[in-house]
Amino acid sequence: MIKKQSNILNIKLSKFLVAIGLLVSINGIDAAEGGPCKDYGECDEFKYSLNDMASLQRGASTFLNYCYGCHSLQYSRWGRVSKDLQIPEEIFFDNLVFDKSIKPGDLMIGSMSKEQSAQWFGVAPPDLTLVSRVRGDDWIYSYLRAYYEDSSKQYGVNNLVYPGTAMPNVLMALQGNQKLVCKDVPVIAKNGGEKRDDFGNTITKEKCGYLKVDVGSGELNKEEFDSLIYDLTNFLVYVGEPAKAERERMGWYVIFYFLIFTALSALLYREYHKDYHK
Amino acid sequence: MSEMVGKLFGWVNSRLPVSNTFERHLSKHPVPSKVNFWYLFGALASVVLIIQIVSGIWLIMPYSNTEEEAFASIEYIMRDVDYGWVIRYMHTTGASMFFAVVYLHMFRGLLYGSYQKPKELVWIFGCTIYLAMMAEGFLGYVLPYGQMSYWGAQVIISLFGAIPYIGESLELWIRGDYYISGITVSRFFALHVVALPLVLIALVFLHLVALHEVGAGNPEGVDIEEHLDDDGVPLDSVPFFPYKVLNALVGIGVFMTVFAIIMFFFPEGGGYFIEMANFEEANPLVTPEHIAPVWYYSPYYAMLRAVPDKLGGLIVMGSAVAILFVVPWLDKSKVASIRYKGIYSKVALALFGISFITLGYLGTVSVTEVRKTMSVICTVIYFAFFLLMPIYTKYEKTLEVPERL
Repeated sequence: MIKKQSNILNIKLSKFLVAIGLLVSINGIDAAEGGPCKDYGECDEFKYSLNDMASLQRGASTFLNYCYGCHSLQYSRWGRVSKDLQIPEEIFFDNLVFDKSIKPGDLMIGSMSKEQSAQWFGVAPPDLTLVSRVRGDDWIYSYLRAYYEDSSKQYGVNNLVYPGTAMPNVLMALQGNQKLVCKDVPVIAKNGGEKRDDFGNTITKEKCGYLKVDVGSGELNKEEFDSLIYDLTNFLVYVGEPAKAERERMGWYVIFYFLIFTALSALLYREYHKDYHK
Repeated sequence: MSEMVGKLFGWVNSRLPVSNTFERHLSKHPVPSKVNFWYLFGALASVVLIIQIVSGIWLIMPYSNTEEEAFASIEYIMRDVDYGWVIRYMHTTGASMFFAVVYLHMFRGLLYGSYQKPKELVWIFGCTIYLAMMAEGFLGYVLPYGQMSYWGAQVIISLFGAIPYIGESLELWIRGDYYISGITVSRFFALHVVALPLVLIALVFLHLVALHEVGAGNPEGVDIEEHLDDDGVPLDSVPFFPYKVLNALVGIGVFMTVFAIIMFFFPEGGGYFIEMANFEEANPLVTPEHIAPVWYYSPYYAMLRAVPDKLGGLIVMGSAVAILFVVPWLDKSKVASIRYKGIYSKVALALFGISFITLGYLGTVSVTEVRKTMSVICTVIYFAFFLLMPIYTKYEKTLEVPERL
């Protein structure tokens, strides 16, 4: 009996080791592809601004209108968001909270059951409270702007940052129809400049995989859409760590305190030091 | 009023050795008058120990040690507990800083021969503290019950399974379950907050008692006891209190400034102090893309991966820590300090330092063929530093150590 059990454990262990081995090799491939944003290439850089209340408020509004239907923020509380984002509670609850039984102290546990959503989407939409800390803000900002038309997929879209993503492009009405296109791009010569032919014309080569939105197909133009995603990402950074802005503010005072502390103790030390170095 | 205080103090003092202890261990305890910044890290380590204990006590209050609530309770601390984030980041930053100062403290020991006769026991208690810290850090890392907590624990506990005969039962005994579960979390919690802190405090106490018995060293490797004044006090010494305490206070000020910069501006330490995947709740069904230990274990993890056989890897890893304990008997040099040792010792120590840091880097990244070869080379250098020590310290030409500091 004991022997049998140890066999089972052995099998488990070997499976586990195979899994680790696989992961390590996958990770190797991943590294070769150039990082977390996959086919997108380098993630776009995102700089949060947690003191920009207007941006956070717009981000919260976008999240609650477009994302909260499927994605919960289960560690965050309604009242805290309204307070931190300086939205008067009355306005917040009248305009952004659609379930009137919710109280300010409630957690934002979402409005869809996990079992049902797993059936509908194949996988339950993940909770997003900590997404900015797991994936990073650069990733979110890139991901939400990297959808493209792909008729082979269930929802007709795919994503360069997250190929095969289970999430439909919820913001398509705003962004418009984004497609993968090919472009003629200048060939770069060995010296780093554009390569030219004998007549001085730039030599170009067709390269594919560029994202392009059909002009006029969405409610927003590119700048407006990018700024919408900026605000949304900014909000997710906030919700990932609501104390972040306060932390960075308080940090300066603490550092200042310890600098004074160091200076005073250095002066005191110098005074005592004279005793034995006359 | 002051008369009453004096009387009360006298009453206590005749029943408890207050002024006696104060004089013996502080105000009349002689320490070398000339030391350098390397001698600060011991004091800094005790500061971090206090930070860890105090922040730890406050973390226990709102933390929940169940499988269902552990992860959520950490977020509760980060959001709903007043200044809970301060306490938590203090503890996470403290963990990394603890290892940072202890590594520097240990390197100081190697630099200036702080393990040589008669300081062997001081060194051995120190190594035991380091071992206890590694266990304490590992146990604590499991408590937030994020993905890295779970999978890190999975890797470490499965290592015990590689031990012949008793391995599997040992694994089961550590986990308390067939998988890592709430049972594992709650027992790790008990060990992390009660058992190991008691061990650590006892060891630190012994480390200090032994140190005060044999006296602190100095970067010259001079024995200050050789030249005493008429009262029997070493000439090249100053009382620990207030001189060295004030000296340490300056160091503590600088250290706390660095601590605050990390804690308030870079608490995740770029994913090295708090790994990104640990912001995701533990999920036994999904393995993270890349399992890496926190930075302070990564040199040993690189050694583990450098050996193809699991049991072999475990032995190498264990020996890498165990070998530290016998350093006092490996060093055959007539001099203590690197300043007076020969060229072989200097080169050996430099190579050792470089290989340890390289191993630390290699332990955090994924394996490639080149990296694996590098890990093997660095592991060999690591062990060669210790194993060849009896030879290169004995046969090299050393310099004359001065009489006085």
